[in-house]
Amino acid sequence: MGSHLVRSYVTETDTTPDPAKPFTSDPTTGFDDRTEREMVATQDQMNLAMLPLEQRDYCAHHLIKLMKCKRDNWPNFLACKHERHDWDYCEHQDYVMRMKEYERERRLRLRQKRIEAQPA
Amino acid sequence: MKMAALGARQWARALLKARGQGFTNTFIGARAASGPSKDMLPGPYPKTPEEMAAAAKKYNMTLHDYKPYPDDGMGYGDYPMLPEKSQHERDPWYGWDHPDFRRNWGEPMHWDFDMYIRNRVDTSPLAMDWKTMYTTLLGFVGFMLFMFYVGEKFPSYQPVAPKQYPYNNLHLESGGDPEKAPEEVKNYTI
Repeated sequence: MGSHLVRSYVTETDTTPDPAKPFTSDPTTGFDDRTEREMVATQDQMNLAMLPLEQRDYCAHHLIKLMKCKRDNWPNFLACKHERHDWDYCEHQDYVMRMKEYERERRLRLRQKRIEAQPA
Repeated sequence: MKMAALGARQWARALLKARGQGFTNTFIGARAASGPSKDMLPGPYPKTPEEMAAAAKKYNMTLHDYKPYPDDGMGYGDYPMLPEKSQHERDPWYGWDHPDFRRNWGEPMHWDFDMYIRNRVDTSPLAMDWKTMYTTLLGFVGFMLFMFYVGEKFPSYQPVAPKQYPYNNLHLESGGDPEKAPEEVKNYTI
């Protein structure tokens, strides 16, 4: 815990990526065929469901299903366990992807630095 | 009708009687029944040692303790100048005649006694000296400001990439121009 802060502020200040700034490396580097993320819910569906902007992510279709289930089962607040889990799991996977993306960016920058340091 | 006539006659008689004393004496010069009476007010400022002794005796004080307020026209008269100490400072375990006020019967009362009762001004000594108090406070506030500055310069963050959003980072939803083609954003699984 906190090792990434030590890297970004003490040991590897030049290569550690800052999540507030856009990442610079090419997303296809190291992949033969990288699959694009698939968005299920359409913009119309999200508008009709009146989702807040921060929830219009790649898990929005799970959230819409959960909200519909909650509405249909009111007042049984114990219902929709499965829908809730589906959405939570999707968001978890989304977060894991972000962690992987950060680590990929960090390593690519380190690699870039190594390559530049090599004598030509 | 008869009663009213009687009343009027009595009023007329009273006015006739008051004529000799003058109007102001009759209607304005009369002392109100409220407020302190003459013997409750302090006497004139004592000038001679005899007057001092009499005043001290009047206020149940020894001549040694008795010291009147300076005669500077504030109207204190011979009222004793008592130390500016709040009643809270007094011993709570002593059997006071009036425990709520921590005061004995017949004890001379401070001119501003109501200011120094136990739930108002407290003159008891501080728990620590003034310098310790302000160095502690300023030290704490200064340390907190310094730490806020450090936190601003070196923010703590989770090592994750920014959250990805579909439809060109929600171009339309976040108020982008629908006429203008947005910069295409592709997000990949990993």
